[in-house]
Amino acid sequence: MAKTYDYLFKLLLIGDSGVGKTCLLFRFSEDAFNTTFISTIGIDFKIRTIELDGKKIKLQIWDTAGQERFRTITTAYYRGAMGIMLVYDITNDKSFDNIKNWIRNIEEHASSDVERMILGNKCDMNEKRQVSKEKGEKLAIDYGIKFLETSAKSSINVEEAFFTLARDIMTKLNRKMNDNSSPGAGGPVKITENRSKKSSFFRCTLL
Amino acid sequence: MAASCAEMEPAAAPRSPGTGELVCARGRNRKAVLCQRCGSRVLLPGAATFARRELFLPSMKKKTALLASSSPDGDVLQDHWLVDDMFSFENIGFTKDVGNIKFLICADCEVGPIGWHCLDDKKSFYIALDRVSHE
Repeated sequence: MAKTYDYLFKLLLIGDSGVGKTCLLFRFSEDAFNTTFISTIGIDFKIRTIELDGKKIKLQIWDTAGQERFRTITTAYYRGAMGIMLVYDITNDKSFDNIKNWIRNIEEHASSDVERMILGNKCDMNEKRQVSKEKGEKLAIDYGIKFLETSAKSSINVEEAFFTLARDIMTKLNRKMNDNSSPGAGGPVKITENRSKKSSFFRCTLL
Repeated sequence: MAASCAEMEPAAAPRSPGTGELVCARGRNRKAVLCQRCGSRVLLPGAATFARRELFLPSMKKKTALLASSSPDGDVLQDHWLVDDMFSFENIGFTKDVGNIKFLICADCEVGPIGWHCLDDKKSFYIALDRVSHE
C-alpha cells in the first residue's frame, strides 16, 4: 500500500527514573489501564499520528523505562533518533541537576543535530516544587534548547511539547533539503534516501 | 468465550457472524478501528485487510479480575485486521519482546493486548476484531 504519511520521526524520552516519562506517553494517564500482562512485560515504543501544517506525521516514541542509568544508554539506543525530550521532575532537584548529565550523554552518543527539548514534568504538583520555572528556563537558554513545563496528569502542555519538537524537526529537515538542493552543497539528500549511501542522514555533520 | 472450541475450528471456517458489515467488498475495514476502552484511533477506514488466523492473545483483564474469576489467561482469536507496515497504524503501542512476539496495545490507555506481531514476519501486524470497536 502507498504511504499515507509525509514524515516519520523517531523520538526518545530521556531522564531519571520516576520523572514521569512513561506518563507523557498516554493521553489519559490517570485512566491508564495496565493489565497484569502488559505491566509485566513492559512497553517498547508507541506510534502516534499527528497533523502539522497539513502534513501527516508519524511519531515513533521510545521510552527508556528501566534502563535509565547513563552507562546503559548508549549509541544503539540513540541510533536514528531525530528528537529527544529531556524530562525532569519539578518536585525533584536531583532529576533537574541530572539534565546536564543527560545532555552530555546525548552529545556523546546521539547524532549531533538531533533536536532537543527540556520538559519540567509534574507541574500540577506546585506545592511540592523544588525547581522554579525560571531555573528551568535558564538552563534551556544556556543550552539553546526549548523548554516547557508539563503535567502528564493534568494534560498540560503534553501535546504542545510533542508538536513543538515535531515542528522543529520538520523545519530542520526542510531547511536541509533546500540547502542540499543548491549547487555546491553536500550532495543530494532526500528523506527517502536516508538509509542509502550514508549510514544516516542525520549523522552527516558528525563524520 | 469458548477459546478452546475456537482452537478446534478448521482454518477454512466461514467468517464469524457480524464481520460482514465491517469488511468491505475489497476485504478492507469499512469502519475506523478504535480502542474499546478509550476510543483512541488505531486504524483509519480502509487501512487494513481482513485476515483469518488462529492467534493466542493473553487476557486484557487486571490481575484482581483474573484472580476473582476462573477465566482462562487468554483467548485464541480468529478474526483480525492485518497491515503490512507498522506505520499504517494511527496510534498503537508495542510491548517488549515475548520470545519472538510483540503484543500490540492501545497507545493511549495501554489496554491490551489488542494485537499480535511476530518478529519473524516483518510485514504482518494483526489486530483482533474482538478486542477493538468499530465506528
